[in-house]
Amino acid sequence: MSLSTADTQPSAEQTINATSKANDAARLPGARTHYSDFFSDIVKRMKPSPIHSLLHLEHHIPKPISLLAGKPNPAMFPFAGSMSWTSRDPHNPEKIETLTMDEDLLKLGLNYSETPGLLQMRQFLEEMQEDEHGRLKEEEGWRVTVGPGSQDLISKAVTALLNPGDSMLVESPTYAGIMPMFRQLQPEFICIPSDAHGLLTDKLREVLKGWPSDKPRPKLIYTIPYGSNPSGFSATLERRTELLKLAYEHNFLILEDDPYYNLYYGSSPRYPSYFSLEKSLGLLDTAPDTPKDLLRVNTGGRVIRFDSFSKVLSAGLRLGFVTGPAPVLDAIDKQTSAASLEPSTLTQTIALTILRSWGREGYKAHTTNVAAFYRSKRDTCERLLAQYLGKDGLATWDTPEAGMFMWFKLHLHPGMDVESDTEDFIRRKAVEKGVLALPGSMFLPEGGKSAYVRLSFSVVPENVLEEAMRRLRALVIEARGEA
Amino acid sequence: MAIAIQNEPNAQGQPSSSAVSLNAVPILPAEFYLEHFLSEGAKAKKHNPIRFLFKYESTPGLISLLAGKPNPRTFPMSSVSLTCADPWDHDKELSLTVDPDLLSQGLQYSVESGIPAFKDWLVGLQEREHGRSMEDEGWKIAVGTGSQDMLSKAFAAIVGPGDVVLIERPTYPGAITALQGLGAIMVDVQTNEEGLRPEHLQSIMENWPSDRPKPKALYTVPYGGNPAGTTIPERRRKEILALARKYNFLIIEDDPYYHLYYGEQERPASYFSLEKQLASATEPVGRVVRLDSLSKILSAGMRIGTATGPASIIEVIDRHTSSANSQTATLTQAMALTIFQNWGYDGFKAHTKFVSAFYREKRNQLENALRKHLTGLADWVPPCAGMFIWLKLHLNTAATSSSAQNDPEHGDSNELIRTKALEKGILLLPGTVCFSSGEVTPYVRMSFSLVDEAQMNEAMRRLREVILEARGGA
Ligand SMILES: Cc1ncc(COP(=O)(O)O)c(C=O)c1O
Ligand SMILES: Cc1ncc(COP(=O)(O)O)c(C=O)c1O
Repeated sequence: MSLSTADTQPSAEQTINATSKANDAARLPGARTHYSDFFSDIVKRMKPSPIHSLLHLEHHIPKPISLLAGKPNPAMFPFAGSMSWTSRDPHNPEKIETLTMDEDLLKLGLNYSETPGLLQMRQFLEEMQEDEHGRLKEEEGWRVTVGPGSQDLISKAVTALLNPGDSMLVESPTYAGIMPMFRQLQPEFICIPSDAHGLLTDKLREVLKGWPSDKPRPKLIYTIPYGSNPSGFSATLERRTELLKLAYEHNFLILEDDPYYNLYYGSSPRYPSYFSLEKSLGLLDTAPDTPKDLLRVNTGGRVIRFDSFSKVLSAGLRLGFVTGPAPVLDAIDKQTSAASLEPSTLTQTIALTILRSWGREGYKAHTTNVAAFYRSKRDTCERLLAQYLGKDGLATWDTPEAGMFMWFKLHLHPGMDVESDTEDFIRRKAVEKGVLALPGSMFLPEGGKSAYVRLSFSVVPENVLEEAMRRLRALVIEARGEA
Repeated sequence: MAIAIQNEPNAQGQPSSSAVSLNAVPILPAEFYLEHFLSEGAKAKKHNPIRFLFKYESTPGLISLLAGKPNPRTFPMSSVSLTCADPWDHDKELSLTVDPDLLSQGLQYSVESGIPAFKDWLVGLQEREHGRSMEDEGWKIAVGTGSQDMLSKAFAAIVGPGDVVLIERPTYPGAITALQGLGAIMVDVQTNEEGLRPEHLQSIMENWPSDRPKPKALYTVPYGGNPAGTTIPERRRKEILALARKYNFLIIEDDPYYHLYYGEQERPASYFSLEKQLASATEPVGRVVRLDSLSKILSAGMRIGTATGPASIIEVIDRHTSSANSQTATLTQAMALTIFQNWGYDGFKAHTKFVSAFYREKRNQLENALRKHLTGLADWVPPCAGMFIWLKLHLNTAATSSSAQNDPEHGDSNELIRTKALEKGILLLPGTVCFSSGEVTPYVRMSFSLVDEAQMNEAMRRLREVILEARGGA
């Protein structure tokens, strides 16, 4: 008799294993034919939370008296049953309305709920993803897990996928804040450069073509498709399509980190997400018996999408969510049950109260307002940049169409055939003159020099930004003189 | 301005507290953790490079274009109000509003270790509860997403694949899962009705094979243990602390039920407190990492817990947080602080007294039901803290005389719960999940926090039937 508490219900993973077993013989040795082939040793050795795997028995019919879970008694929580706040009306931002949390929802919010997040919240988000990205949850085998910020979920996703030495593709430049987490897992980084239109898919294709046949293929790519941190650029439809095709051809997963999705303010209509394109391009329908395409329609696809409420509701709520194939999300949940049990239920109920009162319409209206706000911030920033650094060719840049960052190249050595290195300029000279920004080198996963600087225009007022530009101008001129 | 921004060195090159302390309490030096305790992963751990620079933002005259902080004007929420109980009279409601400055911190990214004002309040609480002074004793505090978050990060700071951790037998399943993920080797220490047995711990350490890596830490739940419900007496705590010093391991004191103590005797001191009381020139402080939780006394859904301990360990936890999840929700911290500031420390104590009295009453109810229905059919030790009773079912009449805790002959509660008990309409936690090896056991854990007295009686009546049937069938 087995003692494992997990084996009472077949997991999604097991079911997939079973359906694909039949085709196994046809596979190349070492090929990854189902999600579990992508998993790291860490998640393989973690057992699912034993208590969690029993909780479903509480819903057994007839309902048993349960002395199972160690939930505290909610009567001991001192919140006497009401919580309210004022909130801006998304259709009329000048109007402030009062929202009060539903009593039953507050009760849920104060206690433990579930590892992947509060059921009501997940349902809301899953419906939102269906509409927003044109995907169907039931038919396609994906779902949503909520986490304490999207950073947490990205960390857990890569931990679920990478063993030391595994190859991982990463867009360069990329979000510096997540790199220490990636490095901790000791993967081999294969850095793919990008330009103002996103990842250079031609470069990626070359890399994949030249891949040594005896070397395990990359498991995933990490990319920020809208308003990339640090570059502010968004990937074009063409590049997105290319990347997706490559992912299906070469059997890797796409980690689509999209916290700036709602901060798109470009003049042309927005491009669909990878999560959406994966379906609209018909990739999910690839014939099931093609050996390369085992992750097929009923298993959720190859895109793992990360959304965040940090930039549109509040960063302090710490709410993000991941959308993707159920087996991969199960592997994330398994880590959560050991790492922090679950994201805050209370912040989920707060967000849910707001989202429900607004409705999907209101949420759209709100994010449109937010994007417009950042657009005007960008305009101001770009105007000042042009005035102080652009006009004498001290700096060049491409205009960002999403997000809150300006990524510009400094020309510190005019007339010379050397690339500038902003490291010392930013870390020492600029700080001495009272300007704090980030040198581009910080965002290069491969390391090395960069002539770029990242500037965040989200919180700084215009007159202060102008003063910063004035100081930077003086510094660049001075540096050029020295050179 | 004569400053320049440095890249952050990792733990290797950064002694965090001075090695020699001038005050009365001797402290283990930072190098000591580096040499003996920090895991390989912890030593390599880097701070999130952007967050590392946050501290420069407050330099006067400096214009920061640094962080990707969203503009707070885009956040829809303003002015948060909540009602909460008066700690001295729980029927009375207090209406509180989160201070605007605090709320703005609560909506925005903050430092990874928690909102500073909230941490200050919690430091004050630790000083009062445990007689430890923040100054000169080399400890720090970090706020996490529940104590589970701090627990798993404290483990990661200390243990990596192949490292040894001593655990109680039985122990909290959530700790087993976390240790499994790290590839740690778990060594069981026996317990009895008074908790961890120091003499067993001593014999493990005395007989430790010289060719095996020595245990780096002991993980223990000292109050109202999950699952066993036991609270370890102060005498034993002192012996265990002495063993930790003698054999050079850390104590991870996971104490979410500390405030749920309702025993008749005066409460035993925490390990965190004892290590100071018993400090001497040769026995410095800095061996205890203490975990606290607001889950049982304020709200589990807030997900707030803390780690308090040696700066060298807490700094690794902070680095871990900064790159893994940035920080814990600040809004919930702001709400908790609003309540605590209104209550004051005395109000906080009054509230926890109310809570522990409630659980004492619950325990009494379940014990009454147990005595009524299960006398002779099960054994248990009445807990004096927490919300669990650990029950040994007498499933096999022939075997009940043996004193061994688990023996397949005593029967298997896991099988029973999933079949007969469920059929009869009662659900309990099978004891097997509380053992690192997942062995067969007749024990079950019963949680008495949520069920009312009538349900308890009915549940125990049903359990009686289940046991009798199992015995009949055996
Ligand atoms: C690209 C990118 N990914 C992830 C995050 C993390 O966001 P969250 O607050 O949801 O953890 C950020 C935040 O700055 C980001 O810029
Ligand atoms: C012994 C023990 N440690 C840690 C925890 C986790 O608590 P928190 O909600 O603070 O993460 C629990 C919760 O049940 C527990 O029983």
